[in-house]
Amino acid sequence: MKAFILKRVLALLPILFIVSIVVFLVIHLTPGDPATVMLGDTATEEQVKALREQLGLNNPIHEQYVHWISGVFQGDFGYSYFMKQPVMDTIISHLGPTVSLAILAEIMAILIGIPLGIIAATRRGSATDQSLMGVALLGISVPSFLLGLFLVLVFAVQLRWLPVGGYEPLSEGLLLHLKYLIMPAIALGSMQIALTARMTRSSLLEVLNTNFIKAARSKGVKERHVIYRHALRNAFLPILTVLGQTFGVLITGAAVVETIFNIPGIGQLIINSVGRRDYSVIQGVVLFVTFTYVFINLVIDLLYGVIDPRVRLDQK
Amino acid sequence: MLQQPLLEIKELKTHFNTERGRVTAVDGISFHLEEGEILGVVGESGCGKSVTSQSILRLFDEKYTVKYDGEILLNGLDLLKLPMSKMQKLRGNDVSMIFQDPLSSLNPVYTIGYQIAESVMLHQKLSKKAAYERAVEMLRLTGIPAPEKRVNDYPHQLSGGMRQRVMIAMALACKPKLLIADEPTTALDVTIQAQILDLIIGLNKEFGMSVIFITHDLGVVAEVCTRVVVMYLGQVVEEADVEELFARPYHPYTKGLMKSIPQMDGDRSQNLHVIEGTMPSLHDMPKGCRFASRCPYADEQCKEQAPKLETLQSMHKVRCWHYEKIVEMEELTYADASR
Repeated sequence: MKAFILKRVLALLPILFIVSIVVFLVIHLTPGDPATVMLGDTATEEQVKALREQLGLNNPIHEQYVHWISGVFQGDFGYSYFMKQPVMDTIISHLGPTVSLAILAEIMAILIGIPLGIIAATRRGSATDQSLMGVALLGISVPSFLLGLFLVLVFAVQLRWLPVGGYEPLSEGLLLHLKYLIMPAIALGSMQIALTARMTRSSLLEVLNTNFIKAARSKGVKERHVIYRHALRNAFLPILTVLGQTFGVLITGAAVVETIFNIPGIGQLIINSVGRRDYSVIQGVVLFVTFTYVFINLVIDLLYGVIDPRVRLDQK
Repeated sequence: MLQQPLLEIKELKTHFNTERGRVTAVDGISFHLEEGEILGVVGESGCGKSVTSQSILRLFDEKYTVKYDGEILLNGLDLLKLPMSKMQKLRGNDVSMIFQDPLSSLNPVYTIGYQIAESVMLHQKLSKKAAYERAVEMLRLTGIPAPEKRVNDYPHQLSGGMRQRVMIAMALACKPKLLIADEPTTALDVTIQAQILDLIIGLNKEFGMSVIFITHDLGVVAEVCTRVVVMYLGQVVEEADVEELFARPYHPYTKGLMKSIPQMDGDRSQNLHVIEGTMPSLHDMPKGCRFASRCPYADEQCKEQAPKLETLQSMHKVRCWHYEKIVEMEELTYADASR
């Protein structure tokens, strides 16, 4: 088990290394100059030149890379001249809203998506099943920005129940926190809910057709226990995969929703940083996101073993 | 018959709703089973023998796919009229089932101990500890070595033969009156097959447990069963005591099956007998005798009119228009050959 985790963490290194090179090159080879952006339209050529020298932008690109990556290995992700603080601090200060949003959306996917999938699977072919799957298809197809704007129109503009946008941290109270997050979470999570429901349904249907379910019924196990005890646990591996992957998407793909609801999260940070050509922040965020993805996948792999003894690692 | 049989099936029909319309996979099956008896149900794949067995426990989805007709009387109680909750109490307690494929019939995510103990806890209200003790006892009974250790194993840690023993242990954990064994040895290799058959016969003798043994293997039937029902396309075509059936098979289909058994001392230059043709589709049921299209003796009457199951002397039943004629003809050719 420990060896497995160690191996996975070591395997992370080449991934991060490759990602760092790609990100670095893409950013530095795109046209646009941070010095010009920082100094604005009125700056003279000398000022720009001086700043470029100061930022190290005139050095050859491989030297710039080595300079950056050696800092990263020492835990120093660089300094953002726009934010006037270290990159790591910038990421951490933007992390809270994004993680809150992702967790809320994920909770909705679990608490709504899985039960709906079970209901649809156990009533396969019925009107309930068909309408649920129709709604799920809608949930997958409607883009989050459209749903977000629609929610704002109804609940913020018309009914005035919820704020149009913005963010209050958890420290200001759970209720206030949720009041600001609920609409973005729905807009962001509708697709995850729908995906989870569909995956639960199809996975459960597959398991319900197996012989061991028939065998469980033939033992006299009650239908409820057949579904929840015998079938669901077997059906859970693909559901877990979807949940894990969508959690990665929720962390990284919230940019659109964060922009609509004006939430100061990672997504908004990266969009603004790209606009400002804030090299060190972009690089830091992309590396961080890559790490998050791989880390979540590692956790999912370990959870597989908890559910299914066949993939358990510490077998005799 | 003075005593009430343990199980009596009367005119059972099992209809399935499929996308192509309604099909009747089991069409008017009747047979009975005495206490302590091992009844063989024989037929080729798709003849409805598995559907019959699963109909007894009502394992099909009655809400959308299946409709039953007829009666299934267990000690005089009609199972088809029971509410599902009563049915669930009866399953695994009074009537148990072993399935064809032990590899896929055990839940991969629970220990075999839990799976055996589950029905014990459910039906006999034993504590978890007592139920696990029963599980160990059942594993020992079915001949699994070191059952105290094995009880905590998962199905994937066991071999195919062991898994079938676990299935049997699971089915017998509550000491049911009736065991339905649906091709329990088909997926196993021959030596394991013999062990499992011995086990079932032993349990039948020891506990007086009745068995419905479903198979397509007439060799196994001869070894295990006391009485045989031969099925073809959802109907019983012949029924007799096992000695009677092997000595005097009446129905052309049964004869065909018998001839298809490979003989150890047979003539190797001769090809194995095959029954020509294939079973008609359930969607396209013939009007007359269902075997007519494959029967060497079939005539116009067979194609037009469906024969009834007739009871002959010594409780031998057969569904054929010409069984008497065929017997005569065969005796003639036999006499010719020996002359």
